[in-house]
Amino acid sequence: MTGRVTLYHWEPNANSGKPMLALVEKGVSFDSHYLDMLGFDHHRPAYLAINPEGTIPAMTHGGRVLTESTAIMEYVDEAFAGPPLMPADPVERWRVRWWMKFMDQWLAPSFSMIGWSVFVGPAMRQRDPAEIEAAIERIPLPERRTSWRKAVYGLFGEEEMAESRRRVALGIDLLEAELGKREWLASDGFSLADINGFNLAYGLPATRPEAVNDQQTPNLIRWLRAIYARPATRACWALGRTDMAKRLAVLEEQPA
Amino acid sequence: MNAILYHGEPNGPSLAVLAAAFETGVQVALRRIDLAAGERHGGIPGAQAPELDYSVEGEGPVLVVDGVAMTDSVFLACYLDDVAGGAILRPADPYARWQVMAWCRWLVERVAPAAAYLGTAAMPPRTVPVGIANADLAERWEQAVTGRCDAALLADSRAKTAAGVTRVEAQLADGRDWLFGAIGLADFETYGWLCGMAPLAAEALVGRPRTAAWLARVKAHPSVARALALATVPEPEKVWAPGPEINRWG
Repeated sequence: MTGRVTLYHWEPNANSGKPMLALVEKGVSFDSHYLDMLGFDHHRPAYLAINPEGTIPAMTHGGRVLTESTAIMEYVDEAFAGPPLMPADPVERWRVRWWMKFMDQWLAPSFSMIGWSVFVGPAMRQRDPAEIEAAIERIPLPERRTSWRKAVYGLFGEEEMAESRRRVALGIDLLEAELGKREWLASDGFSLADINGFNLAYGLPATRPEAVNDQQTPNLIRWLRAIYARPATRACWALGRTDMAKRLAVLEEQPA
Repeated sequence: MNAILYHGEPNGPSLAVLAAAFETGVQVALRRIDLAAGERHGGIPGAQAPELDYSVEGEGPVLVVDGVAMTDSVFLACYLDDVAGGAILRPADPYARWQVMAWCRWLVERVAPAAAYLGTAAMPPRTVPVGIANADLAERWEQAVTGRCDAALLADSRAKTAAGVTRVEAQLADGRDWLFGAIGLADFETYGWLCGMAPLAAEALVGRPRTAAWLARVKAHPSVARALALATVPEPEKVWAPGPEINRWG
């Protein structure tokens, strides 16, 4: 497959950051099309013409459109030359996929529930309510409308928030233990699991310094610093436009 | 390579992985366990790993290869495919492979939790097994055994199952036999979760002739028929254990 690559993305963070970093690691030249997610850019007609479901990120390669960030990463690894981002060993390939699903479907929803509840939701509620509601009504997928309403209006119950806090704490413990077994998260070499995990966990030393630090999670911190030191990560995070990317600064610090 | 597949009755993820093993021809020893009795917890010799305890799939099959316990049926099938050369269960072309993997991601996140919820509500397991490390999986067992089913979640699960069938019907609209090219991962995984839905979400299958014909084709396919022949009960599609959780975001 030949043709230009365009990535439609938000900040180098979470789902948007996964294919961004995979492309840069792979050495693939691409057109970066930044979407302001909090401004609902991804639910406007121009983007819905690209991805009718209105989810981000999306990638076009030639005339083809790809969605689902983790599946896009596997495509990027397979479709382009460059350093392999999946191990050759079938068991290690399984482990990479297992950890990506664990992070995508079990851990990340709890991270985002806390993030939306504490930071993004309150800020969104400062805007014109009619404008916000109209933006939510434009969201094509009904389940996404449900999610955005929960996020914007802070509809999380205390039980849900407590469960999310439990999962984040447990997830940190599981990542720390796994990173004690090997240099990278799921295989002997750097892989898509590391790209996925970094996008999920890079903000932890700044947002959860009491739990993620050199003393309590030495392997997690070592791993985050190692990924941050890669030229691709620096290049990718330079594409950020908000203060989110600044949370990386704490990784500049060396162990005490 | 010493590979042992611990599987339940041929339904849901166990059916998908059994069919994948037979389709690829990868040699695995088969060991039946009663997933609905919780035998995955403590019933697999030497298996202690976060990937076993925290499998997003819930009570699914476990493939132990040279002491490594692997879970999650889509990725077990990918493993078998990788061992077999990488292009039996999934297309070789990267874009076509992306289509299959994106489909499976949607399926296991939206349809599988709904099917498992409806299945365990209708055919609840008898007791909560001891030794469940994952607290949220233990809670799903408690809910299933005690019959604490939420009416809203039941309705949501029927709607998600119907949406799943709608998508299958649309995928087959051009007259194709299988979901993506040759029969493979997407067919096995989708069939595994939908084959038991007729009595649980009957309305989802009404007026879906292409889906009905596809279900019959998959059922008759040799590797699936061989997997179904391993059943020890007359209706394996009625055997359920707690599966993936329903998306907490809705």
